[in-house]
Amino acid sequence: MTLRSFCCALAGLGLASLLTAAEPAPIPAADLSALEPAVARQIQDRQAALRDLLNRDPDARELAAAWADLGMHYHAYRLVGPAETAYRRAIELEAQNPLWPHLLGGLLQEAGRLDEAAASYGQALALAPDDLPALVHLAEIRFLQARREEGEASLRQVLATAPQEPAANALLGQAALERGDFQEAVHRLETALRGAPGANRLHYPLSRAYKGLGDAAKAGEHLTQVGSVGVRVADGILDGIESLRTGERARLESGKRAYNAGRLAEAAEEFRQALQARPESVEARINLAATLVGEGKADEAITRLREAVALDPANATARFNLGLLLAATGPASEAIEHLAAAVAARPRDGEAHRELARLLRGASRYEEALREYEKAVENAPADEAARLGRAETLVRTGRYSQARDLLEEDLKALPKGLLLAHGLARLLAACPDPAVRNGARALELGLAVWNAEPTVAHAETVALAWAELGRCRDAARWEQTALDTARKAGAAEPVLAEMQKVVERFEQSGGCRP
Amino acid sequence: MRAGAGRVTAGTSPPRVETRGYVPAPLPGALALAVAALVLALPCAAADVFVDRAGDWGLVFSYWNGAGGSFYYPEIIGGGAALFDADGDGDLDVFFPQGAPLGTAKPALPPPARPGGRLFRNELISGSTRRETPLFVDVTEASGIRSPVYGTGVATGDVDDDGDVDLYVLAFGANELWRNRGDGTFENATAGAGVGDPRFSLSASFADLDRDGHLDLYVANYVEFALEQNPTCYAPSSRRDYCGPSAFPAAPDRLYRNRGDGTFEDVSLPSGIAGKAGRGMGVVAVDVDRDGWQDLFVANDGMFNFLWHNRKGMRFEEIGLLSGAAVNADGEAEANMGIAAGDFDADGDDDLFVTHMAGETNTLWVNDGTGSFEDRTNPAGLAAPSLPATGFGTGWIDYDNDGRLDLLAANGAVTEVEERVRAGDPYPYAQTHQLFRHQGDGRFADVSREAGAPFRQLEIGRGVAFGDVDNDGDLDALVVNTNGPARLLINQIGQSRPWLGLRLVGGRRDLLGGRVAVVRKGAPTLWRRAATDGSYASASDPRVLVGLGEAAEVTEIRVLWPDGTAEVFPPPPLRAYTPLVRGTGRPIGATTETPEAKP
Repeated sequence: MTLRSFCCALAGLGLASLLTAAEPAPIPAADLSALEPAVARQIQDRQAALRDLLNRDPDARELAAAWADLGMHYHAYRLVGPAETAYRRAIELEAQNPLWPHLLGGLLQEAGRLDEAAASYGQALALAPDDLPALVHLAEIRFLQARREEGEASLRQVLATAPQEPAANALLGQAALERGDFQEAVHRLETALRGAPGANRLHYPLSRAYKGLGDAAKAGEHLTQVGSVGVRVADGILDGIESLRTGERARLESGKRAYNAGRLAEAAEEFRQALQARPESVEARINLAATLVGEGKADEAITRLREAVALDPANATARFNLGLLLAATGPASEAIEHLAAAVAARPRDGEAHRELARLLRGASRYEEALREYEKAVENAPADEAARLGRAETLVRTGRYSQARDLLEEDLKALPKGLLLAHGLARLLAACPDPAVRNGARALELGLAVWNAEPTVAHAETVALAWAELGRCRDAARWEQTALDTARKAGAAEPVLAEMQKVVERFEQSGGCRP
Repeated sequence: MRAGAGRVTAGTSPPRVETRGYVPAPLPGALALAVAALVLALPCAAADVFVDRAGDWGLVFSYWNGAGGSFYYPEIIGGGAALFDADGDGDLDVFFPQGAPLGTAKPALPPPARPGGRLFRNELISGSTRRETPLFVDVTEASGIRSPVYGTGVATGDVDDDGDVDLYVLAFGANELWRNRGDGTFENATAGAGVGDPRFSLSASFADLDRDGHLDLYVANYVEFALEQNPTCYAPSSRRDYCGPSAFPAAPDRLYRNRGDGTFEDVSLPSGIAGKAGRGMGVVAVDVDRDGWQDLFVANDGMFNFLWHNRKGMRFEEIGLLSGAAVNADGEAEANMGIAAGDFDADGDDDLFVTHMAGETNTLWVNDGTGSFEDRTNPAGLAAPSLPATGFGTGWIDYDNDGRLDLLAANGAVTEVEERVRAGDPYPYAQTHQLFRHQGDGRFADVSREAGAPFRQLEIGRGVAFGDVDNDGDLDALVVNTNGPARLLINQIGQSRPWLGLRLVGGRRDLLGGRVAVVRKGAPTLWRRAATDGSYASASDPRVLVGLGEAAEVTEIRVLWPDGTAEVFPPPPLRAYTPLVRGTGRPIGATTETPEAKP
């Protein structure tokens, strides 16, 4: 007789509990060897706690909670197999507790085992019919299984209790969209968006729903607002899993999430905790620095980045960020050094080449700047700023016709490039070398950029083009337009006064050509 | 393959019994023949749909990624395969790009005995000799191909219009163009052709985008990765693992215009392509709005997909989000990888199926005929089965020749599979491949379990090339697995139903991008596309194989040529490959005329 069949026989005699105490169910093992040490320690602690409890002859309820606790820790690190074993043991021990099948449902849903997940949620709902998150999860599963009607029925149950629940409304909106009921889809999705205004991904199905209704304006309006934040049902049971994660990686991940959502103080705290968990973490320092910049703490950010560079001198991101920060606040020579290291580490980074070129130009190292701009354009051909920077550098070195020719070529390559068109218009209108000027072409380009973007600078360029053409009254009129635009934008009085002087100069007879 | 040379009779492959678990005792003479006839007549349901014949037929190749514990990003991405008629003899030969060592760490697996990309010649047809089954011979050395790059994928097309199919090898490093000399040898024409894009590329598409009669080239580039900038990333368990794509900047794609002499001009900038950078994994040239100009759909990893609308004159406008194919129904940008473009609902336009990461569903975007797409993954029944799998190569494949396009997806994870870790797998990324049968009502059933042993094996699937490798009238699939043997999935059942084989020809080459309408009596018209692109990092057979199901009475064939003209051809013979040569059919209407799709 095997041990198993012997147990069964004893159970029939009512003696099973005797053996249970003698041979407790094995604690599911996971290979912890390659885990982050803090994570491995945390899991080992939970295993030890369960082992201790097993040795103390606990009651079933207490034991179930301990198994579930271990399961949740496995679950937090996506160790699905051991987590499943632990949850199932908790369910066996305390079959009337709806939390355990809910947890198991969440685990299995994440693993894509939808039938089993649905069964677990069903078990949870049988014990706790008001478990609204379980109903929403069940609906999510049914939609994925092409069982839309069942999903919608679950969600209607949710709305009977919580009519504004965003996730339920969003899912019902999606379902309505799927069956072509655009009116209902708009209603549900708008309700969801009101309940979760930060869930900017909802703008996408809303856009489709309005398109279905033939409302192109609304569809377009929503399409421009599409982002990456979705909507989830608030699930007090499963949402807690994430908070169990410890160690550098977990803190980095939650810090990044907070940072992306604009919660800078929370992000900074998470990154600090990541640093505590692993004091030599370069990534934590880089991310903390980025967050500190957002909080206006540039000095502390620079300190963190210097530490990161000291730990990993070849880290392109640390070098790039430090270079940019120093360019704004510190010595240009050091900023140049860091950006040069950044491009050396990542030679195809067009943006880094461009920023390095900008600093070199600022330091009057024009030939080096031109080389960097060339590399920036080579690596990011659509980067208008790099092309413009290259032309501006040529202008600074007096190579006006070369700058003009390059800008004409650039504009052919990027015909919609407003920066380039404006740069060329300005050069043609007011180049120090009169031979390079071309008022008519400058006016054509200037008006085009003004029509595309009516800004102060664009109006001034049109004014300069008119001046180049000798049409001083028109020049004055456009400088006045620039002045009005600047005033509306809240420009400072000294700036406005300077602009007023230009208007007056253009109005004076006797030539206004620059 | 030469026009007309590939005609074969269906049923040339002998029945296979070894997967059934028992071997019958030998039977005497006549009785044996009678039993053999009975076996042939058995319904298909009892047989495996696909059987792996790679080893039996000499196609021995493993894609080696060179992994040595440094978790370099390219290791988790390659590779692919090309099924193409390299020697023009009427059967499909094979090219595999190969990985290479990266960095200085010692690779966990020994490197291949023969490094670099490999070319295998199919001896199914050799001169006037026809073998019963293919036999592959490694002819790399004799071919002159020396491709030691870290190969990731491959594309095929006749770039110089000389009637021989050329190879474009995608790489982590400079891509290579191998020009087919037509005598079984190739020459490296990369520098002269101007297509040696040095970025990290995965897929490419040859298509005549400006309708000048020559194949242009779109290269889908992935991310900016350098060995010296190898970030450390972790799995949710906190174990060291491969990074996700968001750890790297997107690399801009490239568009090359064929000057007509086999050399190319980089038109990425003036065409508008350079205006947006995505993490491109798959690309397909397909005329989504049926205006007679091929558009470009690019699957971007973790970003909005691009749909480059062809504005004619080699100018493109990106309309992905507007079209509905940039994100799923939820508005989520997914890890878009392999692409299948085909008219699965027989309404005359091409629909898109894209494979994704585990935790996301693969996505089916249905075209309304104007290039506007709707995500119909859930109602099609494709969501739930794809959720646990990370899909790469894929294709519309009517494996049972019932006239309905089914789907095949090669799967393999890119981050550790916890179950494999627990099993002690040193490279824990293996999953099983999947086959989805189109049930005819727009819904699909996962039939992987019944599809044969290749769908039950754990592999790290990547590229898949599709084609009729044994010329028996049904589509086979060549699956490339990372650090494991390539599988040649030979279709066992399709040939039992009537089929048509078509090759769209113009000048001396296949006219990629041509669309065929097979008009049937009393049944929906079937639309198919002649193409080598799509799937993932791979190139497929450009011949069009159309399963006719129970409605085998074809009344006519209409062809929309890639230059915008259209012709009608009389029904060709069934169960044979027939060339349709541009200019030999009856012209029909305006260049953008689309024949009626529905019966």
